[in-house]
Amino acid sequence: MKDKIKEIETGALAEIAVVSNGEALEKLRIKYLGRKGLVTELFKKMGEVRPEDKGEIGRLINALKSGVTKAIDEKISGVSAPGDPKKERTDVTLPGISKELGTIHPVSGTIKEICDIFISLGFRVVEGPEIESEHYNFEALNIPLEHPSRDAFDTFYLADKWLLRSHTSPVQARYMEKNKPPLAIVIPGKVYRPDATDASHSFMFHQVEGLAVGPAIRFSDLKGVLTTFAKRMFGEGIKMRFRPSFFPFTEPSAEVDISCILCRGSIEHVHGHGRCSLCGGKGWLEILGAGMVNPKVFKNVGYDPAKVTGFAFGMGVERITILKYGVTDIRMFFENDLRMLKQF
Amino acid sequence: MKISYNWLKDYVDINIPPEKLAQTLTMAGLSVDSIEKKGDDSVLEIEITSNRPDWLSYIGVAREVAAITGKRLKLSSFVVRRSSFEKKRTPNPEPLTAIKVEDKSLCPRYTARIIRGLKVGESPDWLKKKIESIGLRSVNNVVDVTNFCLFETGEPMHAFDLDTLSGNTIIVRSASKNEKIAAIDGTERALDGSMLVIADSSSPVAIAGVMGGARTEVGRSTKNILLEAAYFDPISVRRTSRKLALSSESSYRFERKVDIDNIDHASGRATQLILEVAGGQAGEFIDIGKAHARKNKIALDNNRLNKILGVKVPAPKVKKILTSLGLKAVGGRFETPAFRQDLKCEIDLVEEVARIYGYNNIPGTLPPVAESNQTLPPELIVDGKIRETLKGLGLSEIITYSLLSKKALLSANIDDKDAVAVKNPLSEEQEIMRPSSIPGMLGVMRYNINRKNGNLKLYELGKVYFKDAGQGFKERRNLAIGLTGEICDGWIAKARRANLFDLKGIFEDLLLSLGISGFSVRETSDPSFSADACAAVEIKGAPLGMIGEIGRDVLKNFDIKDKVYALELDCEALLRFIPLTRRFKEPARYPSALRDISIVIDNDVPNAVIIETVTGSAGELLKSAQLVDRYRGGQIPDGKQSLTYRLEYQNISRTLEDKEVQEAHSRVVSALQEKLGAALR
Repeated sequence: MKDKIKEIETGALAEIAVVSNGEALEKLRIKYLGRKGLVTELFKKMGEVRPEDKGEIGRLINALKSGVTKAIDEKISGVSAPGDPKKERTDVTLPGISKELGTIHPVSGTIKEICDIFISLGFRVVEGPEIESEHYNFEALNIPLEHPSRDAFDTFYLADKWLLRSHTSPVQARYMEKNKPPLAIVIPGKVYRPDATDASHSFMFHQVEGLAVGPAIRFSDLKGVLTTFAKRMFGEGIKMRFRPSFFPFTEPSAEVDISCILCRGSIEHVHGHGRCSLCGGKGWLEILGAGMVNPKVFKNVGYDPAKVTGFAFGMGVERITILKYGVTDIRMFFENDLRMLKQF
Repeated sequence: MKISYNWLKDYVDINIPPEKLAQTLTMAGLSVDSIEKKGDDSVLEIEITSNRPDWLSYIGVAREVAAITGKRLKLSSFVVRRSSFEKKRTPNPEPLTAIKVEDKSLCPRYTARIIRGLKVGESPDWLKKKIESIGLRSVNNVVDVTNFCLFETGEPMHAFDLDTLSGNTIIVRSASKNEKIAAIDGTERALDGSMLVIADSSSPVAIAGVMGGARTEVGRSTKNILLEAAYFDPISVRRTSRKLALSSESSYRFERKVDIDNIDHASGRATQLILEVAGGQAGEFIDIGKAHARKNKIALDNNRLNKILGVKVPAPKVKKILTSLGLKAVGGRFETPAFRQDLKCEIDLVEEVARIYGYNNIPGTLPPVAESNQTLPPELIVDGKIRETLKGLGLSEIITYSLLSKKALLSANIDDKDAVAVKNPLSEEQEIMRPSSIPGMLGVMRYNINRKNGNLKLYELGKVYFKDAGQGFKERRNLAIGLTGEICDGWIAKARRANLFDLKGIFEDLLLSLGISGFSVRETSDPSFSADACAAVEIKGAPLGMIGEIGRDVLKNFDIKDKVYALELDCEALLRFIPLTRRFKEPARYPSALRDISIVIDNDVPNAVIIETVTGSAGELLKSAQLVDRYRGGQIPDGKQSLTYRLEYQNISRTLEDKEVQEAHSRVVSALQEKLGAALR
């Protein structure tokens, strides 16, 4: 009996050692440990063993069983792709089941990005009405009636003295009337201008306006704040320039350019034959208008221009988004093609 | 304005190439949009801001170039030597031309120079070249001179054929009601009493400051001319130009104010050139109204300048900059030149100093923070949460126009009587302001369906607008959600059509994420929605919006074949129910017990009624009751449905006893049987 045990053990271990797949191993398990397996058969022969040997033989068979089981188990963990032969292998290359995320409109996303930057610089975000009075849209901002400075602000009228704001600047005046300086605010929102629609003009678009007023706000502060903004928005490597300009509600006024994101204002592109498609070879891209608040605007809202100074700026959100992502046509923002939206 | 580099060099020494000049001008506020090479010349296209009419001339731009580059102006060769033509004047063969200005406020100065015996013909080469270099067409020697002088001096002038002026008279007056004029552009225009005209004894011969008339135009046969140089009221010219939709180089300059002190010079300069290129003799010069430009004396506090700019510009430097621009230092103040009517107060001078000092030479600093801990206003925080949640639920945000056509509104069966109308739309697409985001949403769906994006889950956060009895107008925040097409679960399950409950589920998840628990829907009807599936959404009885399936007729109008489910919410009403703070609730320590109950009940018993019955009968141990399965057909008789509800019982203070759950559950079962006629399955 002992020899038989030894023989089965040797045979089993040798066979287990050479198999290389799960199926063959499973066959071995049945051969030795199955209901009619060789080891199982040994237990059935215990009756033939002499009583005084039963203890020892029993231990030996048990040791054999656990030895073979262990050898098979160890082999399973070593053999590749073991598994249940009845179970199909999982094709791990099948695609994941996506719960397809939605998207936030690029214009909303950019507004949030802009506001977040200014919040971090100490600005409060406020809003104002889109249906606005002529007074706040124009007169309060030192844009007189029938003056050429109104040419830049063609406006949709709803009724006498009521219009769709042509810029977010009226909220400046509204906020200053109700709040005392010092203050720093940014104002996001929709604005409307009866411009013929083309790739870069839309009769509705979004602006973010900014205003900071205090006892000692300087033009240099305007430069510092807007430079910080542009670098965070477009990258540290961006260069900036402030050009003198004219807006009725600021003086001195400036238009602010960043170096072209596409050609980086490199000389070859500026003077070379292939003009940059984004900046037209100028090397610069206009991103916003700004300036020191005109003392007349302060007077209009009841501030004393001798005691406070301030700066204001305004930017078109679609313009910023177009530059940042290389969107080619402003109309795409309002067509809402899912293939466009899904990229944001 | 187009500026020829070579022509500009007539007035100022320039020792930098055109590209560098363009850059220099741009950085001083004369924004150069493009440079065009034309033979050995370069033409700069400069955008001139509306506050600087003086830059609408070569001499004006030359002055600026001289100030920035420190070079000398070369105006001496353009000084008019009036004596050269005045003394040759022969005694008038005919009576003097009569000039009458009826409204001096609209025409504070009017001058006329008579030139007789000239010969109209082709311009000499030098003049042609100048005129053509800035893209104008050469007409004849006289007209070319007036155009040349307009660009050189900034003063628009007009030459009339003297012999065509009936009555030898010029009257500057308002047009009368039914008067007409055929302008030199060949178009006849109807005038009205608000417009200032130049007339002879019979009819208008020019629209003052805007355009001359064809009848008195200088042509080949012209021998004698009347050369007009005047100042017209900017607002009057602007109104007329706008009313007639007629803009010209003249009206553009008069609107922005021409230099009234420069009229003499401009007229003399033109006269001298006409005599030079067309011959003839200078006749009388009639000058009506002696108005002169205001010269302002402005004090500039250097400390204040430094405080505003954030850089120290030494006083001598300030003085040098301002005098280079033509201002005179007079007793501690600066006197403005006639051509700078835009300079009126201290800040105007600060700007001039900053401009010439160079914005790029001012450092960048950060201001003291006005308020720390800034954040968004509550409405924007909520907007942000809504976006975040809906993004997570797979919806894409859209933005559509707030303006739309009446037709689009009516296509969605929305009445336009409360809609705000736009007075001056460019097209019918901008006629009215949207009172609902549904038409815009449907438009976007159609756009995408046409591009093979048929499975859409969209939302828009934006305002809607109404007429209002009080102020006249009302605008409020609005949320619209729309669903159409299929809901896909990847390759593992078959795609299925989206339905109303997909939309309702999105809404429930959204409210949950905003911290709002509990809302109700009430069946109602609305012209935009299908009669079979339309409900008003309410929270605590307050109306919030509508949810339902868009009506078939509406979809047909929008050419959409699939079903569309939509929700529109009043975000301002919603805002009132959003809790400002949230408290943590400790999860129950004791396990809850789940019991399912399956009933067969009439189809027309609403789920809400069943839930009400369950919660009303179960007692306080019931934590929640949820529909987990609905089945119709098969062994279930017609008109009936099988519903399975999962009830969760819980006692927060101790372990539940089987007996008490059993009791509660039995109450539920009998309530359903007795009150609603349900049968247990």
